[in-house]
Amino acid sequence: MASIDRRDFLKLVGAGGVGTGAGFMLREAIKHPVENLVPYPVPPEDFSPGIATWYNTVCSMCSAGCGITVRTREGRAKKIEGNPSHPVSQGRLCARGQAGLQVLYNPDRVTTPLQQTGERGSGDWLPLTWTEGLSQISGRLGELRSSGQGGAVCLLSEGQRGHMHGLFEQFMANIGSDRLVYYDYDHPHPLLAAMNRLFGTSELPYFDLGNTDYLVSFGADYLGSWLSPVHHGLGFGRSRQGRDHHRGRFVQIEPRMTLSGAAADEWIAAIPGTEGIIALAMANRIVSQGGYQGDDADAWAAALEPYSADAVAEQTGVAAETIARVADTFAGTGPSLAIGGDGAGRHSNGVDALTAITALNYLAGNLGIEGGLIFNPEPVAGQGAAARHASYRSMLELAEDAREGRIQVLIVNQANPVFTMPAAAGIGEALARIPLIVSLSSFMDETTAMADLILPSHTYLEAWGDDFPEPGVGFRAGAISQPVVSPLYDTRDTGDTLLAVAAAVNPDGALTAATTEEYLREQWRAIFERDAPTEEGTAQAQEAIAAETVEAAAEVVAQAAPEDDAAADAPANAEAAVAQVAPAEGAVATNPDPAGWMPDAFDEFWNSLLRAGVWGENTRAEQGPVTVDASVIDAIGVDAPEFAGSSETYPFILQPYLSLNMHDGSGANLPWMQELPDPLTSVVYGSWLEINPETARELGLRDGDLVDVESPQGTISVPVLTFPAIMPNVVAMPVGQGHSEFGRYASGRGANPIEILAPQVEPETGSLAWNATRVRLNPTGRRANLVRTSGLSRDLGRGIIQTTATGEAEEHASTKLRSIPITVEPA
Amino acid sequence: MSFIDDFLASWREYREPGYYDGFDYHWTMSVDLDRCTGCGACITACQAENNIPIVGEDAIARGREMQWIRIEKYWEGEFPDVKLRFIPMLCQHCDAAPCETVCPVSATYHNQDGLNAQVYNRCIGTRSCAVYCPYEVRYFNYNNHHWDAPLEQQLNPDVSVREKGVMEKCSFCIQRIRQAKDVAKDEGRRVQDGDVQPACVQTCPTEALVFGDQNDPDSRVSQTMNDERAYHVLEELNTAPSVVYLRKVETDAV
Ligand code: SF4
Ligand code: SF4
Ligand code: SF4
Repeated sequence: MASIDRRDFLKLVGAGGVGTGAGFMLREAIKHPVENLVPYPVPPEDFSPGIATWYNTVCSMCSAGCGITVRTREGRAKKIEGNPSHPVSQGRLCARGQAGLQVLYNPDRVTTPLQQTGERGSGDWLPLTWTEGLSQISGRLGELRSSGQGGAVCLLSEGQRGHMHGLFEQFMANIGSDRLVYYDYDHPHPLLAAMNRLFGTSELPYFDLGNTDYLVSFGADYLGSWLSPVHHGLGFGRSRQGRDHHRGRFVQIEPRMTLSGAAADEWIAAIPGTEGIIALAMANRIVSQGGYQGDDADAWAAALEPYSADAVAEQTGVAAETIARVADTFAGTGPSLAIGGDGAGRHSNGVDALTAITALNYLAGNLGIEGGLIFNPEPVAGQGAAARHASYRSMLELAEDAREGRIQVLIVNQANPVFTMPAAAGIGEALARIPLIVSLSSFMDETTAMADLILPSHTYLEAWGDDFPEPGVGFRAGAISQPVVSPLYDTRDTGDTLLAVAAAVNPDGALTAATTEEYLREQWRAIFERDAPTEEGTAQAQEAIAAETVEAAAEVVAQAAPEDDAAADAPANAEAAVAQVAPAEGAVATNPDPAGWMPDAFDEFWNSLLRAGVWGENTRAEQGPVTVDASVIDAIGVDAPEFAGSSETYPFILQPYLSLNMHDGSGANLPWMQELPDPLTSVVYGSWLEINPETARELGLRDGDLVDVESPQGTISVPVLTFPAIMPNVVAMPVGQGHSEFGRYASGRGANPIEILAPQVEPETGSLAWNATRVRLNPTGRRANLVRTSGLSRDLGRGIIQTTATGEAEEHASTKLRSIPITVEPA
Repeated sequence: MSFIDDFLASWREYREPGYYDGFDYHWTMSVDLDRCTGCGACITACQAENNIPIVGEDAIARGREMQWIRIEKYWEGEFPDVKLRFIPMLCQHCDAAPCETVCPVSATYHNQDGLNAQVYNRCIGTRSCAVYCPYEVRYFNYNNHHWDAPLEQQLNPDVSVREKGVMEKCSFCIQRIRQAKDVAKDEGRRVQDGDVQPACVQTCPTEALVFGDQNDPDSRVSQTMNDERAYHVLEELNTAPSVVYLRKVETDAV
């Protein structure tokens, strides 16, 4: 089966033959037959021993929202693959996505409702029935609500999107509380603020890596942990070698080499927190060289005046010629793309920096074009979720409310702030003041260990949900999460738990669905009905369905969208077109006309959705000219970053980074992730502190020497590891280890750098400036166990990895594959 | 004597490059080093597909890791002009495989599809094959491994689990090849390009890996073999690998 690329996908959407603006379906294009319309728990009659069954659902191992397809045999999940029809993953998956099976089959899951019988944190748990558990929480919430204190209930959850956000909102409305708080350590607050400031949009844009010719990334580890790594990987591969000898080039600017830095054609070391200043110097160069001709060129020139490449070279650690060269290539190559991510955004000047970086796309004309920055339409559901995402500052307010007794009940759902907030925030001690903590988490993590009552949720492979990926892919797309196996334990769907509580507390509330599945069906019915097509659409679709052959459908599709390129591509897309049109019979059938030709049309639609694992809509926004407000241009500027701790006492800047395996720590309980060698250092099962080899030599430190890393806020002990690609005054450490709870694979292993971070925030968003803490290193004289997979770290002339320079292909042609004849002499 | 002569005659034929071209399929993988980012998705995908045990920290500390595909990392230069290059390394399914000739019990042999196969229940654990493999891609079960319940529920029923004392290595996901061949046979056709993808190939986010039949001149993998960037690792050893690497492109800064 051919994987679809984004462009084909877009064409497909553009060519939609099923009435204008109608929602469409892509039937799953995987080669394994998916015979199931409904998930495993419902009809066991399709259970054939020895035959694999595949279910489509959504990965929830990070926030990217990759569509996945899960292979099951005899009712057990065996393997996860990317869903080839899903525009984000397109059949591919990252290591963490692969390891989702170990979330489901993790030996350390909470398997039944539990009540804490001893002191909080004592770990004395008494198993309860669901009836007992639910009545405990409902009883307390009911009391609060009827005494008008519903507002003292707080629901603290990992981020929710799509209709699940709606369910959470309605649940809180039922209780009478506005304290719905989402908390994710790496929520991109600074990038959202920058997008909003520049373009007035509240959606993350689509970064079209696959079609770009020149990418400049300021600290965004787009291949490792930033936003949507699988989709970025696809784009990277295509830009590199998927475009007929037209190879995109990649530049990475950051203090410590990330996975994306290693993949880049050029890696430029820059002093932490100065990424935005470099971007302004590039902008200055572009404008002053006449590379930008817009009406507001003068305003830009004036605002950028102080940021010449010469003026910032010393401050940023990047030579003026380098800045000028990158700027010239950036402006002179089309399309180019500038992205700024966590490395650059997690400083006191984070929003200003990301604004400056994103503005480069405006100046170079990369907005709304293929290979540039494409604006995303508002998602079809889940509006308002963004406003619920707590920053570090709002979490402090929550902690303050907890201390002041303004929170009576805390419901925690999969969020683990006790692990992902600095000790300086005092969140654990604040939460301990809350009289009742109920956790809906699937694992005993640090926050759940403080709970009085645990009502454990299913893992994502057993649960219902839906998802509209963020960042989107330039058009509206979504997918349903469905259970792929029956629940292993006495756990429940988070949504079901909330619905049951809501019904008990407030039977007259708006939340009437009995189950999450029912709730989702109601919501999707609205989408379905909204998409009721025109009569011609119906006719065309019927024609296409009747045609039932690839060729015939191609014709119908081509006719329905008589634009040149769609017609030209029709044969190529024909197979996909059949897939597209056929399931759409459901969508078409929602004819409000009582004589509609398919009364159970919605069921058809719903089953097609589950089968396909993806839903999409032709909502590419018409991109008019974008203007940036004059006041924004005037105010453009990036201050020097502020750090906690003086450079005399604390000579090193600490860069905690999200590792590919562990992410924000949620991957640490998966043995596959513990055992996956870190992509840059090959370390397994532990923590380490990366330090420049020269610096280590000066300090007399060798790999594996245990040092105390001391910040103004605290100390952790970790072994050092010399890392050839880090600035001399910077040390870096992966986030994710150092759990005190979280199961046998995670707890008591390594150290957590977040613990010692100073409470430094970016002032506009209040998000944690996690790259802005200084530390000093105190050798302990002890050695630590630093386990790495074996192998040399230098090639030593063996020619194992061979390279070539572009345009020099002929020179190497002679060393093409050859086989040397072997002769074996008879003895 | 005639037995020896026969043996040598067939041996000569068997070791001649191109011998396997006469068979129906010659499975081959290509690895584009200009696409590979070293992300390691292939490693975990393989571990999940092939029931590769979780060996634990201590075993890895003693060099006893088990992953059939690994990402080798090579640093080049010093700060700030430093590069990190990655290369996925897996069994090369050599047509002239040094590992095969040394096995006293023929537990490792070449099958007619060009695969270097390992018969677990014939293996007696001499480990000579691992010594002879120049790519260091054979892994020995020093222990019996277990999966903490219920992790074993994930185990792939199409792949056997291995016991202590047995050598194992990449099989090019032979269970998937076999399944594709079965389906093709039922439909009375050859396996077509794209019908079978090993787990690593299927998951690779950058599409760095391509798998297919070298005997089919139109397959994607055959095309990549004609790419001017194609090379074999340690080709001077004349192992005639079935894994083809495409050189990484390194441009001058512009
Ligand atoms: S990028 Fe995120 S959503 Fe996609 S497979 Fe990896 S963990 Fe899952
Ligand atoms: S999955 Fe692909 S890109 Fe990632 S390490 Fe493996 S071969 Fe390289
Ligand atoms: S790579 Fe090693 S194990 Fe694989 S066939 Fe060649 S010699 Fe044998």
